[in-house]
Amino acid sequence: MIKTVSEMSLKKVNLYFLFAMLMSAGMPAFAQSAKTWIVNGNSNLRVNGSTNINKFSCVIPSYGHTDTLILAGVKNSMAVSLSGDIDLQIKSFDCHNSLMTRDLRKTLRDDQFPLLHIRFISLSKMPDVTAQESELTGLVDIGLAGVQKRFTIAYRLQKGAGGNIRLLGSQQIRFSDFNLIPPRKLGGMIRTNDTLYVDFCLDITQVE
Amino acid sequence: MHLADTMKKVIIAGLMAGCILFVLSYGGLFLAIQFFPKLFLAYNNPLFNSDGSRDLLFYLHAFIISFALSWFWDRFKSLFKGPSLIRGIEFGLVYSIIALVPVMWISFSALDITVAMVVSWLIYGLLQATVAGVVFARINP
Repeated sequence: MIKTVSEMSLKKVNLYFLFAMLMSAGMPAFAQSAKTWIVNGNSNLRVNGSTNINKFSCVIPSYGHTDTLILAGVKNSMAVSLSGDIDLQIKSFDCHNSLMTRDLRKTLRDDQFPLLHIRFISLSKMPDVTAQESELTGLVDIGLAGVQKRFTIAYRLQKGAGGNIRLLGSQQIRFSDFNLIPPRKLGGMIRTNDTLYVDFCLDITQVE
Repeated sequence: MHLADTMKKVIIAGLMAGCILFVLSYGGLFLAIQFFPKLFLAYNNPLFNSDGSRDLLFYLHAFIISFALSWFWDRFKSLFKGPSLIRGIEFGLVYSIIALVPVMWISFSALDITVAMVVSWLIYGLLQATVAGVVFARINP
């Protein structure tokens, strides 16, 4: 029952092959050229909406901390994998009017769901960070009030200060997308429109 | 028999006043929101119900106040003298001084609401009670 050297080598090769197969199955799509994007604390987000008596604009003026996004090419595809998450505190929203701010937080049920969660999924192409400005699209999952929904976001990529890049995105969402009821007062005589326009600006430092 | 007649009068007067107040109150409110939207900005406040779950109660208010005032009128109508309009105005003032002013006072002291809001509620209630008083003076003199 003594195994020969060649049998041992063959088994080792098979094991390496199996390991490589498993690894490639686990991470099938990533090419070698991964880049890291550091999302800086001065990134911000704005939500614009309206009622039948006024318009409102609520901002999270500063993200406040840093997060990391990983950008990697996808084999045989123009698309790019963009992975990473951003969590924004609902209580950071400021509507420039304390009553409206509290009303928005109540509508978004911040006592139960204190975070607005954004998960980045992909970009339509590898961004050209050397260009002054370029346009691209990407998929994100937005989680709000316990509901997650996927959106295709239209981005603009701009050169920012100090070699940083700015990723600007806008998306129209609806309260009802997240099973939220737009606020209505006085028996519905004062109504908030279901549609919200979200604009965000991520200040990014690219690390090769 | 006398009690039944009285109850009938109170209910009929209350119902009629309720219908009239319903149209005037909510019609007036709707027009006020259209023409003076800035006066209503303060209602974007978490103090006010915003999920629509109490809309029915909100719209029933015209009938609740009408039935309550109809009973009050029937008990004290002999104290209000003169033509219908004068009786209605006096009735509205009495209701406002006895019921509205103290309630508005405690509301303003305890809730995060504005002076303009409290004054508008006071005027709204005064007008409602005056209209109801005129209706009662004609239906149940």
